[in-house]
Amino acid sequence: MMMGDQFRSKVEQYSPKSSPRGARSPVVSRQDSTGTLKTTISLGKNPSIVHSGPFYLMKEPPGQSELTGATNLMAYYGLEHSYSKFSGKKLKEQLSSFLPNLPGIIDAPGHQDNSSLRSVIDKPPICGKDLLPLTSVQLAGFRLHPGPLPEQYRYVNQAPQRKHKNKHKKHKHKPGETLSGQEATTTDIGGPDPHEKKHKKQRKHDEEKERKKRKKEKKRKKQKHSPEHPGGLTPSQHSNT
Amino acid sequence: MASPLENLETQLELFIENVRQIRIIVSDFQPQGQNVLNQKIQGLVNGLQEVDKLKSQVQDVHVPLEVFDYIDQGRNPQLYTKDCIEKALTKNEQVKGKIDAYRKFKANMLLELTCVFPNELAKYRAIRGDE
Repeated sequence: MMMGDQFRSKVEQYSPKSSPRGARSPVVSRQDSTGTLKTTISLGKNPSIVHSGPFYLMKEPPGQSELTGATNLMAYYGLEHSYSKFSGKKLKEQLSSFLPNLPGIIDAPGHQDNSSLRSVIDKPPICGKDLLPLTSVQLAGFRLHPGPLPEQYRYVNQAPQRKHKNKHKKHKHKPGETLSGQEATTTDIGGPDPHEKKHKKQRKHDEEKERKKRKKEKKRKKQKHSPEHPGGLTPSQHSNT
Repeated sequence: MASPLENLETQLELFIENVRQIRIIVSDFQPQGQNVLNQKIQGLVNGLQEVDKLKSQVQDVHVPLEVFDYIDQGRNPQLYTKDCIEKALTKNEQVKGKIDAYRKFKANMLLELTCVFPNELAKYRAIRGDE
């Protein structure tokens, strides 16, 4: 009686009527401890009947593929050279080092000046029209006024040229010369280190200049005052001050 | 004969050079430069036509979209190649590690099961063969 009740309650529990999946047979764990299930029939792309003996749910093992992640795929595809090429040397970060001949500042983010390639994909330009040379009427629209460009546009245009000039100035730079503000702001091509060095050099030069000036002034004072005031500062006292 | 990509590269370089020259003309415009400017503008149209002609030759070239992100950020696109290679190598090593671990696990499992269920494992081996 007890067993029957249990069975009934189980059946009710898994009844297709009450099943949330509708009329599908419910998933019930079936135990096959007797070993009566001798074969497993698997359907699908490659239907097969496997004699599984006492083993329940025994499946065909997946077919072994020739190429797996166990092989060194870099060597398999002959990409070791590329790997050593890119991993060995330190690549320069800037886009300008990849396209050195491209004029203009190209290292700035594209979205700043609306020149990003992503925007071309997101908002594709109108295409399909033939590209025709401009007529004389259309060219009249490009008639310009003589004279230089307004200040704000000139700055954008001259920036790459300045960069170029500075490279030359860098070599011509004489010791003792002070750098102008423009140079200091645009010589950031080689990273922060050369910057610091330059500043240090500049400081050294400035300090040396000041020292020399002070010495000269003191000498002058000495020459002026020594005959009249014998009790002037001694050289040791000078160095102390 | 140059490859389609080389042709395209040359055409783009010519186009960029043309634009650069226009910029110089325009930056301090002289009235006598109008004709030259007009020629240069027509040159731009011709340049675009040439680039457009080469379109069909590079249809089979596929560029990963991620490279565009690198370029848009002002970064060297070779860094993308480098990152890809490094990622592939890391993944390859991880998968190899997993495969090796599963192999060891299977060998140990069979060993232990043979100790506990020798008859069943004998049957299993008979079905599976010498795996």
